[in-house]
Amino acid sequence: MSEPANPVTPESPGGTMDHLDEMTCLLYAERQLDRARAQAVSAHAQECAACRTLLRALERESRLLTRAMLEEDEPLPSRIAALHEQARKSFGWIWGLVFGLAASGVYALYTQLVEPWQARLEQAGFGGTSLLSLMIFQGAFWKGWQSMLTLLEVLAMLTVAGSAVIVFRRRLRRGSALALVLAGLCAALAIPAPASATEFRKGDTLEVTKDEVIKSDLFMTGARARIDGTVEGDLFFFGQSIDINGHIKGDAIIFGQSVRISGQVDGNVRSATNNVTITGQVTRNVLTFGEVVNLDSAGKVGGSLTAFAAGLGVDGHLGRDLLAFSGNTIISGDVGGGIQLRGDSMSIGSTAQVGGPIKFEGEKPATVASGAKLASPVEFTKHVHESRYKEGHYYVWRVIWTAAFVLLGMVLFLLLPRFAADAVSAGERVGAPLGLGLLVLPGVPIAAVIACITVVGIPLGLMTIGLWLLVMNCAEIVVGAVIGSWIMGKTSDTWGLIGRMAVGFVIVRVIYTPIEQIHVIGWLVGLGIVMWGTGAIAIALYGRLQPKMATIPVAGPMPPIATPVGGVQPA
Amino acid sequence: MSVPGMTETTDAVARARAGDNDAWGQLYKDFAPAIFRFCRRALPTREDAEDATMDIFIKLQKNLSQYDETRSFSAWLYRVAANHCWDILRRRKIRQDKETEDVDEVPLEHPDPNQLDRLIEQKTSEEVRSALGKMNARARMALVMRYYSDMSYDEIADALGVRRAFVGVVLLRARHELRQALEGKTALAAGGTS
Repeated sequence: MSEPANPVTPESPGGTMDHLDEMTCLLYAERQLDRARAQAVSAHAQECAACRTLLRALERESRLLTRAMLEEDEPLPSRIAALHEQARKSFGWIWGLVFGLAASGVYALYTQLVEPWQARLEQAGFGGTSLLSLMIFQGAFWKGWQSMLTLLEVLAMLTVAGSAVIVFRRRLRRGSALALVLAGLCAALAIPAPASATEFRKGDTLEVTKDEVIKSDLFMTGARARIDGTVEGDLFFFGQSIDINGHIKGDAIIFGQSVRISGQVDGNVRSATNNVTITGQVTRNVLTFGEVVNLDSAGKVGGSLTAFAAGLGVDGHLGRDLLAFSGNTIISGDVGGGIQLRGDSMSIGSTAQVGGPIKFEGEKPATVASGAKLASPVEFTKHVHESRYKEGHYYVWRVIWTAAFVLLGMVLFLLLPRFAADAVSAGERVGAPLGLGLLVLPGVPIAAVIACITVVGIPLGLMTIGLWLLVMNCAEIVVGAVIGSWIMGKTSDTWGLIGRMAVGFVIVRVIYTPIEQIHVIGWLVGLGIVMWGTGAIAIALYGRLQPKMATIPVAGPMPPIATPVGGVQPA
Repeated sequence: MSVPGMTETTDAVARARAGDNDAWGQLYKDFAPAIFRFCRRALPTREDAEDATMDIFIKLQKNLSQYDETRSFSAWLYRVAANHCWDILRRRKIRQDKETEDVDEVPLEHPDPNQLDRLIEQKTSEEVRSALGKMNARARMALVMRYYSDMSYDEIADALGVRRAFVGVVLLRARHELRQALEGKTALAAGGTS
C-alpha cells in the first residue's frame, strides 16, 4: 500500500496554479485535514473551478453512498424481527413439555432400565448400593483405591488429568494451569506405592510353576500362560490363551482367545474371550463374553454365571443363578438358583437339576428331557417378529425415550454450557461436522483398540470407547439443538439453548420415526444424524484444544467526530 | 427509522446490564434493524447478514458489562458489528487480502471532475447498492463503516487493521472501485464477496 500523497500543493513554486489531488480533496471533504491545510485547500477551491467541481462531486458521492446504504430496500427478516418476542412466548409451554417429558423419562429409565439391570448385575455378583458405586467402586476391573494406585492407573490418571488441563486451559490462567499440573505430579509422586502391589510378567510363554507363590496381584501379558502355582492376589491376563491349573485366591480378569480353568479361583472370574472352559472350581461368580462357554461336568461355580455367548453348556455345578444371552444353550448339570435365558434354543438334559424358576425367551420352546428335575416348569416366551411400528407401545416408548434424551441433554447443557454452545454452533455448518463425523465414527474405536494393544493405554482406550459411546448418544441432542436454533433463532442463554434443544429434538424424533421404518433409508438417515452430531461435538472439542483465534470486539468507545455525511442512527 | 432517545437507550442499557430481559428486548428491538442493515451492506448474502446479526447480539449480551456508559452506545455497537463482519470476511477470504495488497500498489488515475460529477448525478441508489455488491470485501467494508455507520478514521483503521494514515487511501481506492463498477467495468480486484 502506498503512502498518501502530500495532501496540499495548491500552488507551484513558479506561481502557476496546479490542481488539488483527489486524496487531498477527499480528506478535506471528510474534514480530516488540519486547520492550516484546510484553509489552503479552501482558498485554492475559491480560485479553481475544476477543483471546486471535484470537491462537490466527492461530497455528492458521499451523500449518494449514505443514501444508498440507508434506504430500506428489503424487509427485515422475520427471524430477526420476531426473535425476542418469539423466544419469550414459546417458553411457557416448552418448559412444561420439557419438565413433563423429563419426569416421565426419569421414571421410565429407572423402572425399565436401571432397576432391572441393577438386579441382574447384583445376581452376577456386582453388589452395590447405588449404580454409581456399582460402576466405579465395585465394578469388575477396579479393586478399590488401594490397588488402583498401581503404576498403570497412575499413568492413566495423569494422562486424563493432563488432557483435562489442556481442554480447560482457557479457563485457567497460565500460571494456575502450571501450578495445577505440578501439584498433581507432586501428589502422584507423594502417594506411597503399595509395596509389591502387582507383579508384572511379560513374554511369549509365561508360567507360574507349581511350587511358586505370588504374594501380590499378578499382571501377565503374553501369547500363552500357565498357572500351576498360587497367586494370592488377583490375576490379570491379556494374551492368547491361559490355563489355570493352580490356585488364584483373588479374582481372575482375562482378555484373550481361550481360557481353561482346571484349578481353583477363590474370587470372581471376569473374561472376554473366545472360549471359556471351567473344569475346576470358581468359588464366587463368573461373568463372561465369548463364543463358547462351557462349565464342564467336573466344574463348579459357587456363585452365579452371567454369559453372553453363541453356545453355552452347563454340565457341572452352578451354585446360584444363570443369566445368559446365548444362541444355543444346553443344561445338563445342576443349577442352584433360577435361570433367565434369552436365545435361539434351550435344551435341558435328563441329568439336569434346577432349583429356581426358569424363564426362557426364544424361537421355540425349550426341550426338556424326562429325567430332568426342575423346581418349576419352563416359562417360555416366544420372540415376536411383528413390526414394532404397528404396536402402540412402541410409540409410547418413543415418547419416553425422547423425554429421557431431552433430560440428558438438559443435564449436559447445564454442566457444560459453553461447550454445548460451541457444539451447536459447529453443527450449524452441517457439511464440516458431517465430514468429520464420518472420520470420527470409525476412527475413534480404531484408535482406542490401538491404545489397548499398548497395555499402558488400556485405561485410556477404555475411557475413549466410553467417551465415544457417550458422544454418539449425544449426537442427536446436538442435532436437535441445531434444528431448534434454526427455527427459533440463536441465543446465548443456556436455558434458551436447552429450550431450543428440546423443541428441535422432538421435531427430529417426529420426522425420523416414520423414516426409520424405511429400512435402508432409515438406517442412512440415522447414520447421518449421528455423524452430524458427532462431528459437531468433535469440532467443539477440537476448538477447545486450539488457541482461540477470533477476537471479541469490545474495545472502548471512541469519541464521536463530526463528518460531512453523517451516519445512521438506529431505529 | 425512528431514533431512540439517548436517555432511553442509556436507561435500557443499564437495566439490561442488571439482567432485565425486557430492557434487553427493548435494545434488541431498537438496534437490531440497523445492525441487520449494516451487516446486509457489508456481507455478501442476506443469510450471512441474518446470522451475523444474531451473533453480534449474542456477543453484545455477553459483553454488555464492558460498555462504557459515558460514551455513545450506538457507536460502540457499530464497532462490535464492524469487527464481527470484518472477522467473517477475513476468515473466508484470506486470499482476497493478498489480492487487495496487489491492488493497493496500482496508482490511481486522477478523475475528470466534470465526468465524475455527471456519473454521480446519473446513478441511483439502487445502482450504487448493486455496484457495492460487486466490490471486493475490504473496499466495501470500508465504505459501509464510513458512510453507513459514520465511524471515524481511527475506528476504521482499528477495525481493518491498517494505520490511520492509510484509511483515506483505502476509502479513495474503494470509491474508484465503486465508480468502475458503476460504469460497468471490471472491479480493480476481482473476487468480491458477492
